[in-house]
Order: sequence, then C-alpha cells, then structure tokens
Amino acid sequence: MSNRTNNCIVQSLKRLLPGVILCCSLFALSATVIEDVHAIDLSPSEAFLQGERIYRDGVLPSGEPMQAVIRGDVDVPGTSFSCVSCHLRSGLGSIEGGVVTPPTNGRTLFQPYKVQYKQVKVDQKFYPAILQRPTYTDASLATALREGITPSGQVMNPVMPRYYLDDKEMALLIAYLKTLSDQPAPGVTETEIKFATVITDDVPSAQAEAMLAPLEEYVRHKNSMINLFKKEKRSARMAATMVTSGELMYKKLTLSRWMLKGPPETWRSQLEEYYRQEPVFALLGGISNSDWKPIHDFSEANHLPCLFPQTDYPVISTTDWYTLYHSKGIYQEGEAAARFLNEKIAALQGRNVLQIVRNSRQGQALSTGFQETWRDLGFAAPVTVTLGEKEVLSKEQLQKLLYANLPAAILVWDGAESLAVLESLVTSSERPAITIVSASYLGDKIWSIPEQERDFTFMTYPYRLPQREESFKRFIEPFMKKANSSAATEVISKKSYIATQMLTQGLMDLRGNYYRDNLFDVIGMMRDQELPLYTRLSFGPGQRYASKGCYMVQLDKGAKPALINKSDWVIH
Amino acid sequence: MNTARLTSIFLFLFASVVLVSSPSRAEELKYKRTIENYTMPDVTLVNQNGARVKLRSLITSDKPVVVDFIYGTCTTICPVLSAGFVNLQQKLGPKSSNVQLISISIDPENDTPKVMKEYLQRYRAKAGWDFLTGSRENIDKVMRAFNAYIPNKMSHYPLTLIRNPQDGKWVRIFGLTSSSEFLNEYKKVGGI
Ligand code: HEC
Repeated sequence: MSNRTNNCIVQSLKRLLPGVILCCSLFALSATVIEDVHAIDLSPSEAFLQGERIYRDGVLPSGEPMQAVIRGDVDVPGTSFSCVSCHLRSGLGSIEGGVVTPPTNGRTLFQPYKVQYKQVKVDQKFYPAILQRPTYTDASLATALREGITPSGQVMNPVMPRYYLDDKEMALLIAYLKTLSDQPAPGVTETEIKFATVITDDVPSAQAEAMLAPLEEYVRHKNSMINLFKKEKRSARMAATMVTSGELMYKKLTLSRWMLKGPPETWRSQLEEYYRQEPVFALLGGISNSDWKPIHDFSEANHLPCLFPQTDYPVISTTDWYTLYHSKGIYQEGEAAARFLNEKIAALQGRNVLQIVRNSRQGQALSTGFQETWRDLGFAAPVTVTLGEKEVLSKEQLQKLLYANLPAAILVWDGAESLAVLESLVTSSERPAITIVSASYLGDKIWSIPEQERDFTFMTYPYRLPQREESFKRFIEPFMKKANSSAATEVISKKSYIATQMLTQGLMDLRGNYYRDNLFDVIGMMRDQELPLYTRLSFGPGQRYASKGCYMVQLDKGAKPALINKSDWVIH
Repeated sequence: MNTARLTSIFLFLFASVVLVSSPSRAEELKYKRTIENYTMPDVTLVNQNGARVKLRSLITSDKPVVVDFIYGTCTTICPVLSAGFVNLQQKLGPKSSNVQLISISIDPENDTPKVMKEYLQRYRAKAGWDFLTGSRENIDKVMRAFNAYIPNKMSHYPLTLIRNPQDGKWVRIFGLTSSSEFLNEYKKVGGI
C-alpha cells in the first residue's frame, strides 16, 4: 500500500472515528437499535432537501460540512464551496477560466456522453476534459465522486474534488442529481416559448404602453424571422452558422399581459390564477409603481424567472433567486450617498449626518438604502427627521436642527420641497460641507436648482450622464421608433430594450436546455454589458441587480446647466 | 472473546467500509512557471474591512507576497485558487503571518468590502489574506501591471504571482499547483 493511500485511510478513520465508536456501542446494546439507525426512512421530500443541501451548501445530513480533496492534495470543507460552485444550480455545468465542468444532472450522467463544444476554446493542456464515457450506474457514479475515475477508467483532472461521502450521504446526493434539470420547464414546446409581463393598475397607461411596446416589437420581429427562415433557406443556413442554438430559430415567442388590479395583498392570488391558466416559461419586463415584493414572492415560490421588471422598489436580497432587476432602484441612490460620504470621510471630522426624509415610498427607500450601507460601513446611525406627507420644514426648524446636531452633511430625501431646504441653506451659517439630494426624486426639478445652491448640492444620479448617453441614441433609434418611444417615457422604453437584449443572449446560451435554473446560470456567466441608460450592467452567479452604479453629480453654472460628474460609476 | 478484541474486529469491519469511501489522490499536475519583473502602479485600493490600502506599500514587503485575481461570485477557478491560499495558511500554522496573500477583485462592480469579507470568512481565511477592490480604472492598471489584463471577468484564467522579497522579482504561475508544489514555490522565494 502506498504512503498516500495509507495517509488517506488514517485521515478517513480520524474523521469517522466518533461515528464508528458510536455504532459499536450501539451494536453492543442491541441489534435492533442498529437496524433503526440504518433504516431511517426519509420521506422523498426530506431526502430531496438533504440532497439539495449537500449539492448547494456542502452540508451533510449530520450538519457537518462535507469534506473533499482538490488539486491533488488540498483539503477543503464543503462550506467554502460545493458542487453548485462549479456545476451550477441547474447541474448543467460551465466553461470558465479554460476549465470545462461537465453536466452532472441524472439525464446526462445515465447515458453515454460525448463532448461537443461549439465555439469555445478549451485548454486541453492543463485541464484535460472528459471527452467521452459510457453511461454511469449508481455504483460507478459513487466511484467518480470519491475517486475521480470515470466508467471508462479516465482519471478526472484535479479541479473536480474527490469527496468523502459515506453510503447514505452518497445515496442522497445521487438521488438529488437524478432530479436536477430532469423535466424541461413548463411554457416551452417544440414550437413555442411562452412569456408573460405583469402590469399593475397603479401605472398610467402611457407608461404601461412604453414598457410593453419594445417587448411586443421584439416578439413580432423574432416571430417574423421564422417565416423568413422557412421561405429562404439561404438566410436560414447563414443564421444557423451564427447562432449557438439552432432550434431557437424556429421557436415562436408569445407574450401575455398579466394585469393586476386592486390592492397589492390580492395580487398573489391573481398571479396564481394567471399562472394556472397559462404556465409560462418566464416573466419578461413588467411594471409597477408599488413595491414589487408580492410579485417577487410569487416568482420565488413558483421558481418562475422574472427578468428585468420595472420597479423603483425591488426586493433587496442576497439569496433570493428568481427575479433579476435592472438595479436596486431608489434604494441604490441612498447606498451611493453613503459610499460617497464614506469616501469624503475626512470632511466629516467625526461629526454626524442629518437626514431629512419625506414619509413617502421614495423617501423611505432612499433612507433605508443610506442607513443600511452607512451601518455596514461602520458608522453610527444618522440623525433622521421624518416629514409627514404635507409637512413643511420651516427655515427656523432647519436652523434649529443644524445648531443642535452640527452635522457634517445633510441629506434631503424629498421631492420638489427639498428646493426650499436648499434655499434656506444658502444663507445659513451652520451649513454643512455637503448636501445630498436625489435626482430621481426631484425629477425635472433638478434643472431649476438656483446657481448659488449648486456648488454645495450633490445629487444621486443612477444613469449614464445625458451627454454620454447621446452616442447610444443612434443605434437604438430605429427600434425605439417602431416601439413608439417618446421623450416622456424614454427611460421606460430603454429599460424594456435592455430586457430584450439580455433575453436574446440568455435564450441562445440555453442551447436548447430549457430549464429555469439554467436561464439564471447562463445569465450569471455573461460578460459585462454596455447598453443604453446604465454605464455598465454586470452579471455573475447569484447577482440579481445588473446595474451596481450611481453617480454623484452637480449642476454647473449657467441657464442651461449640464450635469457634472463628481464620482466613479461604482463608488468604493 | 474479550470485549477489546470484539471492538477491534468491529473497528476492522468498519475500516473496510471506510476504505471504499476514501477518495484517491490524483497525480500532481503540470503548471507553467516563469520569472518576471513587474512595476506596480501607485494605486489605492479598498480591502475587506473598508480600509484604503496603498498597493505598492502592501506589496513592497519583506515577506513573500502572493497575488491572485478572483471575484466574490466566481465559479470553478476562484474556489480552486482560494482553497490553495487557505491551505498555505493552514500548512504554515502559527507562521502564517510570514506571508502576505492578496486577492485582487476582477469584478469591482459587485465586490464591496462586505462581499469580500463574507468570501474570506467562507474560506476561513486567517489574517494576512487581504481581498482588494477599487475603481475599475485602478483595477485595470493593476491587471496590466501584472500582464494579466482581461476586458471581461468571464475570460479569466488561473494565475498566481509570488514575489521574492530579496530581489523583488515575481514567480508567475499559470495553472493550478498542488498544495505541496505551492508550498515549494513559496519556500523557493525564501518563505518559511
Ligand atoms: C471546483 C469545481 C468543482 C466542484 C466543486 C465539483 N465539481 Fe464535479 N467536476 C468538475 C470538473 C472540472 C469536472 C471534469 C473533470 C475532467 O474533465 O477531468 C467534474 C466532473 C464531474 C463528474 C463527471 C461527469 C462525467 O460526465 O463523467 C461528476 C459526476 C461530477 N463532477 C459531480 C460533482 C458533484 C456531485 C459535486 C459535489 C459533490 C462536484 N462535482 C463538485 C468540477 C467540480
């Protein structure tokens, strides 16, 4: 026996010793007890959850982290990373950094496999991939996971960890692999992929139309290509060489409108009913002026992807999976303000921050974004003054607040009324060095900020600056014309345009594997995008807010002021 | 038969079950190794604690310095590189402060101090392993300085750079080393 194997046994023994001793003593007590220990019959759903926990979290049924060896001799606990880190949530694998991680869903494992990589460069020198193998059985799969040996005897490259799993853990994991990406998602047939878009009745119809038109134009265009391909074989052949997913060329897209009426508490049941009648593959776009949460929760519960809904109030979560937002909405502006102040920390000189917050949805979202980020940066909570719906802050009250707190910065999370506050700051002797307002909340009013207030007033601005945005105009103009975009609804149209661009790429990258988790897996592997509206959109496994940026800007002098940039797109 | 003997038989029985479930260890792998000179840009980055760090002074250390490029939500490559970092710290034990490990984010959009701190915790990193983020401009400068520029984070490759404190030269490792190879490389630059 080689030294290595010896070592290995000793290690395994060490790990298992407590268990071994426990089993032995149980055995000594009575034979029936051990029967019970081995015959823990889990319900299928419990077994599924335990298998899922091994796969996704690297945690064994005992609660202990799963142990593995990687790179030949590097020990890693499952809590650092587990199967999902490489084979992804759908189990369909990935190609990253020149390493091919093959699929590990039951459907692929339990049949002979032959690699076909179209259009990807794979570094065969350093990470020889599995190119071909016969079908797995439960037993040979266990050998693969423990020893890294395929049924044809090929030793896998050392990126794939070798796992220490006992028979029961192995059985749970294998049973789970068999359920992974097993049944294609609803809403997809040979000829069709169904989508729906959610519109709530608090949205004025001009806005709803602005959201819908680009999506419908996109669907119309895609579907018209099918006829073209059927008629003109030459264009079909040309297209086929360009797309990575040939079957997609002939699939029709449908887009239903799911209109939600009445109070948000009733949306869930309306959604469930729409979904029962038409189980779509995913939700595309959508728009609401209220919190998106009820729709977000519905997506989460049904594992129904929702791509780029238009809302200022997304759910802020690092773990939820099924909704991909443009950004964190208004919250992100509060976050940017906190990061900006953190950067200017010297100017604060240990003094406090004063927040004046209108008790409105926008005001609250800005304030929450600021406070949570500020806290994470390690600062004490700001002094917060909340204004009721119609409450006006007098000059005297403001002066008093400034005297009492001597803040280093003042944040005014309010609409047009913030202008009055700015005005009284002009002459105030206690004016803090930095004043921050939200350009989204102020809307068109930003342009009427008087000259003498401009040099101490910073605004959060969540989009590419207008002067830079010009260059994008030309290439989206034809599409926007067809989608009836107007200046008043330009932002909404552009957000829908982004949804169509990302969907095109996502559908192609699925390569015919219409599983919902795979949709997010492929989006998670996309490169950063420079599209209209946002300076940069970026993606990554589990990342659910594509735009991470927000500028801090000021108005320059003059009657027709431009916005001047005072920060990076993403502030660190 | 006495009890001790009984137990040992059971132990043996269990041991043979254990044998089946013990993973085998693969052959050591190949990697590409070169010696390079790099000039560091004078940039300030932000670490996992939100502290501003001058990269030049962190790197111009009298300890060996190891640099890699990763990001918080990265698959496949980063877990493997990071497992190597934490393994080196573990192998050095109480002497782990003799080496400065630096991971530089190639996804500065998403990698905030919070994300980076959680990442290090997941790997049970000890002090002496810093994860740095910063403006895209500065990150690009650093990647260029190490001849490791990639315009798109998804096209990164496994790269480890080890600085020899004696002559300031860098060992550039393309590919993934085993932990003993990594330890050897570390020792070659004077690491103890
Ligand atoms: C660090 C990345 C990584 C992790 C973590 C990982 N794998 Fe793998 N896996 C790979 C790579 C890379 C390969 C391909 C190896 C090769 O080509 O030699 C692979 C191969 C496999 C194969 C063989 C597939 C075939 O077609 O022969 C199976 C099965 C598998 N992994 C299952 C798992 C399971 C289950 C887990 C978790 C318990 C897991 N892997 C964790 C990277 C990983």
